[in-house]
Amino acid sequence: MATLTESRKNTLRRAIQAIVGKSAVVSDPEELLVYESDGLTLFRALADFVVFPTSTEQVAALVRLANQEGLPFVARGAGTGLSGGCLPAEGGLVISLSRMTRIVEVDYDNQLAVVEPGLVNLHLSWAVGPRGYYYAPDPSSQQACTIGGNIANNSGGPHTLKYGVTTNHVLGLEVVLPDGEVVWLGGKMRDPQGYDLVGIFVGSEGTFGIATKIVVRLLRKPQAVKTILAVFDEIEKASEAVSAIIGRGLVPAALEMIDQVTIQAVEDAFGCGYPRDAAAALLIELDGLAAGIDAQAERVGAACVEAGAREVRTAKDEAERQLLWKGRKSAFGAYGRVSPAYLVMDGVIPRTKLPYVLRRVNEIVAAANLRVGNVFHAGDGNLHPNILYDPRRPGEEERVVQAGAEILKVCAEVGGSISGEHGIGLEKMDYMPFIFSPADLATMHRVKEAFNPRGLCNPGKIFPTKKSCVEVGPAYRAHPIEEQGLAQRF
Amino acid sequence: MQPALLDKVRGIVGSEYVLTGVELSPYVLEGRTPEAAVFPGSVEEVSHVLALASEAGVAVTPWGGGTKISIGAPPTRLGIVLGLRRLNRLLEHEPGDLTATAQGGITLEALQAALGARGQWFSLDPAFGREATLGGILAANASGPRRHLYGTARDLLIGVAVVSADGAVVRGGGKVVKNVAGYDLPKLYIGSFGTLGVIVEATVKLRPLPDDDRLVLAGFERLKDCGQAVRLVLTSDLIPSAVDLLDGEALRGLGLAAGAGVGGALLLGFDGMREQVKWQCEEAKRVVSEAGPVEHRVLEAYAREETWRLVREVGRRAFADPAAVLQLAVLPTQVTEVVEQAGVVAQRNGLKAAFAAHAAVGVVTAVLADGGDSAQPVIATLREWRELVRAAGGHAVLERAPLAVKEQVAVWEPPGAAFRIMERIKAQLDPKGVLNPGRFVGGI
Ligand SMILES: Cc1cc2nc3c(=O)[nH]c(=O)nc-3n(C[C@H](O)[C@H](O)[C@H](O)COP(=O)(O)OP(=O)(O)OC[C@H]3O[C@@H](n4cnc5c(N)ncnc54)[C@H](O)[C@@H]3O)c2cc1C
Repeated sequence: MATLTESRKNTLRRAIQAIVGKSAVVSDPEELLVYESDGLTLFRALADFVVFPTSTEQVAALVRLANQEGLPFVARGAGTGLSGGCLPAEGGLVISLSRMTRIVEVDYDNQLAVVEPGLVNLHLSWAVGPRGYYYAPDPSSQQACTIGGNIANNSGGPHTLKYGVTTNHVLGLEVVLPDGEVVWLGGKMRDPQGYDLVGIFVGSEGTFGIATKIVVRLLRKPQAVKTILAVFDEIEKASEAVSAIIGRGLVPAALEMIDQVTIQAVEDAFGCGYPRDAAAALLIELDGLAAGIDAQAERVGAACVEAGAREVRTAKDEAERQLLWKGRKSAFGAYGRVSPAYLVMDGVIPRTKLPYVLRRVNEIVAAANLRVGNVFHAGDGNLHPNILYDPRRPGEEERVVQAGAEILKVCAEVGGSISGEHGIGLEKMDYMPFIFSPADLATMHRVKEAFNPRGLCNPGKIFPTKKSCVEVGPAYRAHPIEEQGLAQRF
Repeated sequence: MQPALLDKVRGIVGSEYVLTGVELSPYVLEGRTPEAAVFPGSVEEVSHVLALASEAGVAVTPWGGGTKISIGAPPTRLGIVLGLRRLNRLLEHEPGDLTATAQGGITLEALQAALGARGQWFSLDPAFGREATLGGILAANASGPRRHLYGTARDLLIGVAVVSADGAVVRGGGKVVKNVAGYDLPKLYIGSFGTLGVIVEATVKLRPLPDDDRLVLAGFERLKDCGQAVRLVLTSDLIPSAVDLLDGEALRGLGLAAGAGVGGALLLGFDGMREQVKWQCEEAKRVVSEAGPVEHRVLEAYAREETWRLVREVGRRAFADPAAVLQLAVLPTQVTEVVEQAGVVAQRNGLKAAFAAHAAVGVVTAVLADGGDSAQPVIATLREWRELVRAAGGHAVLERAPLAVKEQVAVWEPPGAAFRIMERIKAQLDPKGVLNPGRFVGGI
């Protein structure tokens, strides 16, 4: 926000350094720039300080200092969020958890782990993998995003269809409350007494405090996995196949859809074996017991054929399976080749509304004279229309944002939601009334008052406020992890 | 309560749906009789009744099927019992969406029947489904054996409509299976025991009905062996939907024990495709054999269903006249030890006790038989059990006990540091303390 005077800034810097040490504070404007955005580069906001604590005590001391000084503060994980959630909308402190990355404890017998919030999602699965376990929530950004960020956004991934989202895998949290007190919500045991504060904290987008330890469930790796590709000449038929699969009582581990724009981009770039002339493809994964998995695959295939699939093929081996997933997962990198920029939307709809809504999405985007690629969690009804555009063309970004809003309105109209996994953050605050009444919003606000009465903890998010000094503007840049080809944006 | 207020309430719901005087006997709670029992027929009526009550400062106790109403401290005030049983409709069920929306007063049995007719079910299996209502199940966070695989209410509830203390209709979540817009309000109402709002509608995730469903019962001489069998199962390739453990007393009480020499049993549920269920049953037999079972049965159809029903109802059925029921949570690996020690404690106090556990999640129901005239042995045992659980780092809730016992043994654990947030949430959502006052954790 840069409204602090130099002398106050110096005083604050000394106070912060006294807590975390000299090397753990950034306040140089050049260096602060690194932290002005997250994965959604449409929004930018500068902090006064970015601080890197290494312990719960340090986080608590920082939060108490912020309270003493009336400074806003916000937690930051890896900054891969896609709604501007970790931006210092009103300046102040960014508390980065990137140095709190320890796996504190793994208890295989009780199938749980205690981790620090800065731990990268995939690193947990790597650590417990050799013993046959994994951490189920698998956002596509899992090579970079942190478990703390996952908690805040209640993140999902391709396999949430069967295994649920982050909240279904969290048992307890050590939290530094917005006033600096350290408390445990939940723990290692089930059914903690009182209100489900873990449940309400997960998905609160960093507005209820800072998680400093997290107790998560670990799952055993499945005995068998089978991956199927179904190819369609019409996108409507692919949509119908989704309902047909679900309607036959099958619950795949993942059920993803990829449309023609995306397939062609992917094939041009990587050649993963998707037919270029297909209107859409479904990538379907079954897992679990080896017994019956062939029969299940047959049922899935039959449902697809009945819905009009022109081809159904099962990955013969792990190499082919990996290639199919690469096609699904490298869509972002591929878009990069056909468009200088794109905005990813994150609407959710009842699965049976898929054919109608996809049609509407295409109409809306066409009317705005733009192009869209769809690649999404079809089994969950979680759409990710990626609106392709060129930020250098005047007015184009506004049209993208406008089209995005219209798409979310359609999602709301069919009984859906405006976000399935990326959160509201700064991006969708104004769309909340699409799905919530004033009474609903007032209730959420009251809960926020209970946790964060002074409003210093991640202000300016979820609910519209006036104080924000966020810059909005055309500045799409690929997120560093995308550039490195480590992840893609869905 | 002012007669004028009662008249207004009658005006809202119709006099035939307002009970007073002797008609209130089914609604006596911890020895106290409410002033009226009111049965609204629509969300609007619920809303009007609450608005009136809250304005007059009359306490309101939401009441579903009454199967879990015994959980909680004695109410500090008891005014209107708000019966939800007329809000019993299934509002929406689109099988292709694998979701359903129903009113809070629908019984679990009615809900499952309607869903089952279209090949699906709501994968929560608490006790007393015939009387228990959807709203009550959510408010009490009730669950059953199949929570092992399918989770609890917090994993299945995706949207909720509640009438708040002041009568406003508030919706949280939505109708889609993935949704992170705003705070996850449905979580707050789960397990809130009616202290934050009255659940009038709920949208839940569904599952397809399995083709086949079986129960594998393995009996062991010693409880310890059951514990070993649980570990063997959990480190195998098996994917059971339920992993329950019963001690000898529970087995005998429920009429499930084959021989007197059975000190405990492991009950595994397997559901899914026929081929899978068959494989799992065979594999289960192989896997648990290492723990030396003395008995092995596979139950299907009615026998299976009846057995699970008895197990779920262990709190009422282990003994002809149970004196108290404590539900406790420890780590899964602590279950057998805690159960064994708790058994010893009961014995030392001259009482019989029975235990049933969802072993792999560490949730145990401990039932204490009646000890005769004096409440003292019951009180002593419950206190020691509590200590035992606390020492293990767990927690316990006194689910059922006579008033005399509740006066001596706390229903809930003393609240921890996060309690002030709970108090503030309560103060924010029910500032006048109208909803179920005094019954919840920490006197909320
Ligand atoms: C290429 C790409 C692919 C993606 N794919 C997916 C996907 O498949 N599914 C999905 O759900 N999301 C996806 N995302 C979005 C993003 O990765 C997730 O939201 C992720 O959980 C954010 O984690 P982070 O560590 O980067 O958090 P940040 O972006 O740093 O922060 C996100 C929010 O969490 C808060 N926060 C961070 N740490 C804490 C803490 N310890 N305590 C409290 N609050 C905290 C922040 O204040 C902020 O509100 C993707 C993003 C990118 C760039």
